[in-house]
Amino acid sequence: MKDQIAKYTAKLGADRSALPGAIAFAAQDDLLITDGAPQLAELAGATLSRLNALALVAARPALPFAELLIARAGADETGIVPQDTETRTFLHDIPFLRQKDLAEDAPGRIARLLSHRKGIIVEGVGIVAVGAITVEQAYINYSSVFHATFVKYLQDVLRDGFRVPGEEAALELLRRDWLKPLTDDGLAFVPELSDDREEILAEVERVGRYTVERGLVDSFFGNISARAGELIYISQTAASLDELAGCIDPVPTDNSSTTGITASSELLAHRKIYEATGARVILHGHPKFAVIMSMICEKQGCSIRDCWKECPEVRHLDATPVVAGEIGAGGLAKRVPPVIGATGGAVVYGHGVFTIGDAGFGAAFSLMVAVENYCREEYFRRLDGRR
Amino acid sequence: MHGWTGRMLHVDLGRGICRRDEIPEELLRAYLGGRGLGVRMMREFFRLDPFDPEIPLIFAVGPLCGTPAPTSARLSVVTRSPLTGTIYDCSAGGRFAWRMKASGIDLLVITGQSAQPVRLEIADDRAELHPAGELWGKGVRESVAALKECGSVAAIGPAGENGVLFANIMMGEGNSVGRGGLGAVMGKKRLKAITVNGTGKTTLADPERFDAARGDVLRLFRASPVLFGELGIGEYGTPALVDLMAQRRMAPTRNFTGTFFPEAGNYSGPAIRAACGAKKDGCYGCPIQCKKSSDQGEPLPEYETVNHFGALNDISDLHAIVKANSLCNDLGMDTISAAATLAAFGEALGRFPRAEEVEGLLERTALVQGEGTLLAKGSLRVARELGHPELSMTVKGLELPAYDPRGAYGMALAYVTSNRGGCHLRAYPISHEILRKPVPTDRFSFSGKARIIKIAEDVNAAVDSLVACKFAFFGATLEEYGELLSAATGIEYTPETLKSIGERICLTERFYNCENGFSMADDLLPERFFSEPGSSGEGIDIPPIDRARFEEERRKYYRIRGLNDDGSFPDANFLERCP
Ligand code: SF4
Ligand SMILES: [Zn+2]
Repeated sequence: MKDQIAKYTAKLGADRSALPGAIAFAAQDDLLITDGAPQLAELAGATLSRLNALALVAARPALPFAELLIARAGADETGIVPQDTETRTFLHDIPFLRQKDLAEDAPGRIARLLSHRKGIIVEGVGIVAVGAITVEQAYINYSSVFHATFVKYLQDVLRDGFRVPGEEAALELLRRDWLKPLTDDGLAFVPELSDDREEILAEVERVGRYTVERGLVDSFFGNISARAGELIYISQTAASLDELAGCIDPVPTDNSSTTGITASSELLAHRKIYEATGARVILHGHPKFAVIMSMICEKQGCSIRDCWKECPEVRHLDATPVVAGEIGAGGLAKRVPPVIGATGGAVVYGHGVFTIGDAGFGAAFSLMVAVENYCREEYFRRLDGRR
Repeated sequence: MHGWTGRMLHVDLGRGICRRDEIPEELLRAYLGGRGLGVRMMREFFRLDPFDPEIPLIFAVGPLCGTPAPTSARLSVVTRSPLTGTIYDCSAGGRFAWRMKASGIDLLVITGQSAQPVRLEIADDRAELHPAGELWGKGVRESVAALKECGSVAAIGPAGENGVLFANIMMGEGNSVGRGGLGAVMGKKRLKAITVNGTGKTTLADPERFDAARGDVLRLFRASPVLFGELGIGEYGTPALVDLMAQRRMAPTRNFTGTFFPEAGNYSGPAIRAACGAKKDGCYGCPIQCKKSSDQGEPLPEYETVNHFGALNDISDLHAIVKANSLCNDLGMDTISAAATLAAFGEALGRFPRAEEVEGLLERTALVQGEGTLLAKGSLRVARELGHPELSMTVKGLELPAYDPRGAYGMALAYVTSNRGGCHLRAYPISHEILRKPVPTDRFSFSGKARIIKIAEDVNAAVDSLVACKFAFFGATLEEYGELLSAATGIEYTPETLKSIGERICLTERFYNCENGFSMADDLLPERFFSEPGSSGEGIDIPPIDRARFEEERRKYYRIRGLNDDGSFPDANFLERCP
């Protein structure tokens, strides 16, 4: 477990979701171990020892959005409800603890909240997340909370403006330091994929790594596939896109084998997209600004309340269509295929971006970058316009 | 009271008395229902021989049964197993549980032995025993048909009547209380069948909160490829696993001498669908509907069954396998144990049964005739009597199901720590080791598995007490089910409180077993897995399991459970400290 802790400590630093030096893990086998920043490690250990779970991470997010959400919340509120579809589906809501709640028995208070949610925000500490059965799971839950708070905070600020001290500075930190120019510069792609199994596996693996390295996914979720004749090679469910070796399922298009039962939950969407467009490859990620912008709707007097699953409209971000739909067997598999052919890309409300390519992953990747860049610029254009 | 009915029915077959009682609320809160409540009710009786007339046979539903909570129309049957000698519970779906709850009871406790074959009829407040001589000797199908006017039926077949140690109890809808020989306990009591009908409704403390939680569960189901994916069990039933287990090279073959069967494609999910159809079927109100039946309405076999009548016995003929399944259902025998017993018998004799011989062997087993006299005792006793105890692929006498432990080390550990013997469902590590839910773990590593298995055992003991279906947890978690339970009962339950209830149940079971003489020596896999490799190939190596590493992880498990290093109980007063 020590190697797992080292691995995911490094990942939290590399994806810049946590401040290096302010990350701690605890894990328990027959013994409890802790590692990382001493104070956080002590808290992590004391909290995990109260839980029937294997691992826990406590870390300070690299951006203060989670705590700003607490500061902006009403005095009687005890949690936030994430707006993006993935976290909404898997986390439901994110409880928080204020500094004043921690006066006595902080680990006990934290453990009590973690006894029914996978991740929480603790004022003055950061994000604390639990992994029921693996260290990786604690990392995933941390990342999901980070992603959800990032999206919700920027959404709220655009809608309601700054409300508490420190928000200007936080946005400055985001724009000046945290956000890097997003490009596909320096990435190499096979221009025209053949049907060769080894070539496809290697390319899918490599492109998966690119999407993580360039920050197009949250934690590492998303999915990738390539079609070769009667087979779809698709990343497995719960697979880390930067570690896809051995985690790519070949699925026959005629469903003559069920080995693909472990394939991504978006297998159906991929299959339908191939059927509708004749594409060779599909890329799906959760770039943050596309997620945020997809949820901004100007329509007045609309009667639909669950926009993320019910909205029947095709809206647009620049030229890219935006549709609603739940993940998995829910709805996006119906709504994305008819619209994605027009530009080669589609955004799913509060969820992420699908792009396709006719020959190789190059076009799909650069389109995803372009969509996210457009959304990023548009977000700040609107935010600046508001001020 | 919301969620529970708070009432039980006690039927004393010896005296012919049916009596309704209250269940102490404290026990309901502390053990929920199903497995937990059933195990608790065995406290005064767990030392009794499984065939002692006074041993209780307990049917227990849970607080979610009768509500629209997905996959919750289930019950547990609890007693001591004649096959394993351990405390035993078995979960089953269908419609029986839901109707039993509607008749106003959470628990049905049957004790004593009738002088003549009887059947029990429950309809709302009414509970009556009727002579069942005319049904004795009849198959399940005929018995169910004869009683269908009375509501839902749970019946035994000839195997249960004749004391076959792996006889099951069949629900009329084709679901079975499959493993552990509980049908033989029912047969010993001369209780042929139970019918239930009722009009009662389960009330919810907070319907709005309940609906929200239900919505969360359904959304997670839809996001789960295993459940609702186009290749998942909603489409193909559990035979969706055939291709996967072949690809992972861990499908037990020829009595576990191999782990890959080249002809497995004959009985894969798509092959069964092509040959027999795959009409969606399943438990009452369940949105997953994982059961499949033929176009004629005949229930089709599960993954375990196709593998064990297939690869395990070196049989590739799909129709023979489907036939064997139907026959076991009609004779009232557990398919896994029946097939595994045949495989051990076959290996001991140097020849696996031919497809066309299976039917006769199963019939003679159920009737305890000819070689069936031996086969009726299950794999452990068969192998011993044939002078080859090492050929019984069992743990604590329970025949291992269709996941070779050499292909998943968490499964290896979970087989031995299971309180009911070699069962895959107690900790269900296949979920993460193979199906990647909730997150994947390395199937060829023991690292962390002791803790993972312990946690999963606790979780599943709680799930078995709700009673919800294990399959639901390929999508949802205790977070959502805890919410459903809180909304139903009006009492706050979190995943952690549910896990501590699960822990109490697991420890109680272990305590009973230890008191009945089980020890570390019984927490062991058959020797074969430590000395013979599986069928490596396609870049996947299946070596024998490293015994030292296995034993180290087992020791860790004991420590995490709070047991002594030899697996024994440190605290003789454990039960007194429990509610
Ligand atoms: S998933 Fe299958 S076994 Fe489970 S409750 Fe639903 S139909 Fe029954
Ligand atoms: Zn997605």
